[in-house]
Amino acid sequence: MAHDRLWWRIAWRNLWRNRLRTLITASGLAFGYLGAVLMVGLSDGMMIELIENGTRLMLGEVQVHSEDYLPERNMHHTIGGYEGTDLEVFLGRIASQEDVATVAPRLYGGGLLSSDEETQAALLMGVDPDREPRVSTLLSRLVSGRALVTGANEILVGSEMAEQLGAVLGGEIVVVAPAADGSMGNDLFTLVGTFDTGIPAIDQSYALLALPDLQFLMAMGPDRIHEVAMTVGNAQDSPRIAGSLGDLLADSELPVQVSSWTDLRPELADMVSLMNASHFIIVIVVFGMAVFGVANTMLIGTFERRREFAVIRALGTAPIGIGQTVVYEGIVLGVISLIAGALITWPILVWWHNSPLDLTTIISGFSVSGSQWRPILRVEYSVDTPIIAGLGLFLTSILAAVYPAWKATRVPPADVLAGR
Amino acid sequence: MHCVRRHLTVRTLATHLLNTSLLVSLASPLQAQTAREIIDRVDRLLRGESSRGRVTMEITTEHWSRSLEMEVWSLGVEHSLVRVQSPAREAGTATLKAGQEVWNYLPRVDRTIKVPPSLMMGSWMGSHFTNDDLVKESRIVDDYDFEISFEGEREGVDVWEFQLTPRPEAPVVWGRIDEQVRKADLMPTWVRYYDEDGQLVRTMTFSDYRTMGDRLVPASMLVTPADKPEERTLLTYHELDFGISLDESFFSLRNLRARR
Repeated sequence: MAHDRLWWRIAWRNLWRNRLRTLITASGLAFGYLGAVLMVGLSDGMMIELIENGTRLMLGEVQVHSEDYLPERNMHHTIGGYEGTDLEVFLGRIASQEDVATVAPRLYGGGLLSSDEETQAALLMGVDPDREPRVSTLLSRLVSGRALVTGANEILVGSEMAEQLGAVLGGEIVVVAPAADGSMGNDLFTLVGTFDTGIPAIDQSYALLALPDLQFLMAMGPDRIHEVAMTVGNAQDSPRIAGSLGDLLADSELPVQVSSWTDLRPELADMVSLMNASHFIIVIVVFGMAVFGVANTMLIGTFERRREFAVIRALGTAPIGIGQTVVYEGIVLGVISLIAGALITWPILVWWHNSPLDLTTIISGFSVSGSQWRPILRVEYSVDTPIIAGLGLFLTSILAAVYPAWKATRVPPADVLAGR
Repeated sequence: MHCVRRHLTVRTLATHLLNTSLLVSLASPLQAQTAREIIDRVDRLLRGESSRGRVTMEITTEHWSRSLEMEVWSLGVEHSLVRVQSPAREAGTATLKAGQEVWNYLPRVDRTIKVPPSLMMGSWMGSHFTNDDLVKESRIVDDYDFEISFEGEREGVDVWEFQLTPRPEAPVVWGRIDEQVRKADLMPTWVRYYDEDGQLVRTMTFSDYRTMGDRLVPASMLVTPADKPEERTLLTYHELDFGISLDESFFSLRNLRARR
């Protein structure tokens, strides 16, 4: 043990014999750490942005439907069948589940919107004006007008739709929709606002009505809805929460299906797991480059000390001891770099997280499978990333020391001392 | 298309029967092209004939069933007007077909609405007909090639069976239409509609042949979708008159709105 401490001390002192070189190497590693953590953080930020935009806009993170509703979305397949279910009781039950933050009921219908001059096919969505904003941001994307008031036959349409219809705020829109009894529901609605989500498919085809108004139009009772959407504590936990909510609702009379956003938007879920996998690649690439740089420096360091090693060997030290001290140097270097890295990374991470880089004016965003990505470079914290990057850094410095250490053990004392 | 031509615009039904008889008598000795030319000529001769009828449409689906009383007018193959008379809640609802356009009138909101292209394949009044059926009926002669696929006895009745194949450039939804016609009185017995993969989509069956106006017609037509055998739309004519005095101005948006 005493021996070991000696080797550590020798390693420490050796490192500081060439202060500049050690500092340069350590800062290389520290910046590598910063780079890895920031890149993963940015990628995390992009991922969370995609999930949020994919779920918060409309989807919600978990949804409940009648078990036969998806994928056809047949309007007759409301939760609880033709009779429906007591809405307040059902929503209350879902909300009572821990992890479920907010819930909102929805009804869908297909129909026609007609202004004086134009007629367009539309997807009618009946929402609860009070509950919906707590689940989705759709109602907060109003670019003109105001929110819906229940029972007043009011309607919100996407900005594109409003343009195609040539409709103005306060104008009348005829809504025609096949009703549950086979008749053609039709009624006059007042356009009170338009929304702009940035997703053309939504802005062109969605129309929002107050839930009771749409139920009346479609000849459905107040207990009939197609969907309950909800937000949960952590979007990444959605599959688990959907599972336990499914268990909770399984004992009720209603045959329902609970889906998380990962089921509803599998392509988005795939993309998120792909991005997760790419984090490891980022760490591997960053430290993969570092490992050769550090190994190179350490190799030079050991070559410089060939005579020294020869002397120690000649004094009777086992080759393994020499190798040990070189590896120890690597470890100590790793610890120094990690501390330095953490010290520079933390403030930058905090700063960037709190003031994301907004590139909206320079580049436009894009949308992936119905989820919009705005060009705002935000950085997310996570617990794993600094640890994984730290482990990567540590491993790098040890790995970089292995070859020089092995080289050091191979120093032939007699030859070196003889200058051969 | 074919189906609606028989139910909704009775004139077209007559056209069709004449088409069929001419086709049958001429198809064997003559080239198909020649048969078509004759059909075309007959079609043009008959254009301008008018009709008026009263019809009950009973629709049964998995989720609901209902019955509508309707009055139907037609002029040539290009114009038709259908107005719902009962139930009271839907009375006044009307559909106008003028050329390739379909308009609906909704009395509750007092508006006429043109059916947009995206909804042409949607259900007409909740039935198993589509809006497209209304429009395409006038084009069947232009859009399909006709051939006799069977001639002889089926269940003791002497019949012809025709196969209608869409022309390559024809903008149609069916991949094939099969049809059976009784030789004795040239009455159709059934029509089967297939999609592009050759899958049966729906079947129309005729029955209750009787003389209405001045000619023999099948007064009942039953449509059943192949994928939902428990669903059906049954059309029954109660009254039918031909050669009444109507002109094109009758088939106007203004008249569509007029409540009767």
